[in-house]
Amino acid sequence: MTRHWFALTMRSAGQRVFADRAAVLVKLTFYVIVVTAIGSLWRGATDSNGGEIVGYTAAALFWYVATSEAAIVPLTMRMIEEIGDDIAGGAIAVELLRPASVLGVRLATEIGRGLTALAPIAVIGAVLAAVTVGAPPSALGAALAIPALVLAITCNVMAQHAVAAAAFWVRDARSVWFIYYKCVFVVGGMLLPLQVLPDWLQSVAFALPFSAMAYAPARLASGHVEPWLLLVQLGWLGVAGLAAWAAFSAGQRRLQVVGG
Amino acid sequence: MSARGIAATIGSAFAEVRSNRASFLTQVTVMVLNDAAWVVFWAIFFDRVGSVRGWDRDRVLTLLAVFMTGAGAVLALLANARRVGKLAADGELDAALALPIRPLAYVLVRRMDAINFGDVVFGVFLFVVVGDLSPGRVASFVLAVATSFVVLTGFLVTVGSIAFYAGKGEAGDFGLHAVLLFASYPIDIFSGGTKLLLYTALPAAFISGVPASVVDDFDLTRAVAMVGVACFFALAGAVSFRAGLKRYASGSVWTRA
Repeated sequence: MTRHWFALTMRSAGQRVFADRAAVLVKLTFYVIVVTAIGSLWRGATDSNGGEIVGYTAAALFWYVATSEAAIVPLTMRMIEEIGDDIAGGAIAVELLRPASVLGVRLATEIGRGLTALAPIAVIGAVLAAVTVGAPPSALGAALAIPALVLAITCNVMAQHAVAAAAFWVRDARSVWFIYYKCVFVVGGMLLPLQVLPDWLQSVAFALPFSAMAYAPARLASGHVEPWLLLVQLGWLGVAGLAAWAAFSAGQRRLQVVGG
Repeated sequence: MSARGIAATIGSAFAEVRSNRASFLTQVTVMVLNDAAWVVFWAIFFDRVGSVRGWDRDRVLTLLAVFMTGAGAVLALLANARRVGKLAADGELDAALALPIRPLAYVLVRRMDAINFGDVVFGVFLFVVVGDLSPGRVASFVLAVATSFVVLTGFLVTVGSIAFYAGKGEAGDFGLHAVLLFASYPIDIFSGGTKLLLYTALPAAFISGVPASVVDDFDLTRAVAMVGVACFFALAGAVSFRAGLKRYASGSVWTRA
């Protein structure tokens, strides 16, 4: 194992993304469909509300949706379920034999895959938004959205591993991914800006990590230049990473004790 | 024989899906919570924006009730409808061809999916909670769910059958996700070519929007058109599967489909 195994694993996972071009095409088309659907909904909503909702114009909302979806679509949707299956099926026990961290290799693979898929999706999203509603509301906001997207995907992958580690203890934790993603959709701001939520739910949403996974880059891309959102993402990234590490360490110890 | 065979297959599929009762109940509960999150989203949305192109909270909740019940029933009871493309592409239909039952009917009823029973439970619950339960409205709801069920099944079988020719099952999977996504939004937010597509090749309008409008405000012409579209997709599914079978190549995989 070289010292750079994490980077190598990421690169190799990224290369595998483009090996299956049909899957990339399906993902891109699906992304365009989702952005079209939700973008149409918000355009209809702003039309009915004098052209603006909670400080967002129709154009800002379209950029918001294009970015929030770009933060989610590149990822493996059923990652939690797949990790749960691997834990329950014994694949993790086999991975323990490798001279590298089980969690580290898995994180590198998923982050590499996610960031590679993000590149074409972000380009298509920017073109789609530019063609549909014009240039981004703020060039600086759009520029800040790029690192925010990278942080969002990384944070999401780590959080999903932390949640999926429940499968070390619970027999059937696979369906949890439904609930996880609904949290990302609503309190994470994927479907709607958090300012749309009622005040009490807004406070809850801002206190949860899900906003770092969709809201932060989308808020920046929609013209709100708030660089502190990147710091919030970094904070949640640290928390999610620590949680994943702690959960996998404890889970692996349990596997070794019980016998897998 | 065929009807008895189908009934026996349904019985065995149901026994299989509920063999692990704890897992069955967990999955149903998770899906109910998942669907409840959609209701929360729409409630928050309409609370903030009022109405959008004639759609308000109550109309969208009716749409969701029809959509969740109809589409949920397809994915729960005919779980293989979404896998027709993969089964065809991977040559896994051998077992279905050797039985004295129509292959498509057998394949469709062979598997059930526990998690989507949650959609059916929540869809019916939503309908009971949202509107009045007059006999006419209940009858409209049953008709709407039935047509939604048939349209989605026919559509999934049709796009899945593309795999007999293309050799790959992605079209079915993609068709499923696209049609379900569009069907979960009010149809009138779309315009131009997208709207035309949703009334034709990607019939999301006939899976949720049109049936929901029949429940809200019954119109005989619309109801007849809706049933006609359902018949068309049922026929399209049956014909495309039968035509595709002529090109089927066994994968020598003896599964129970």
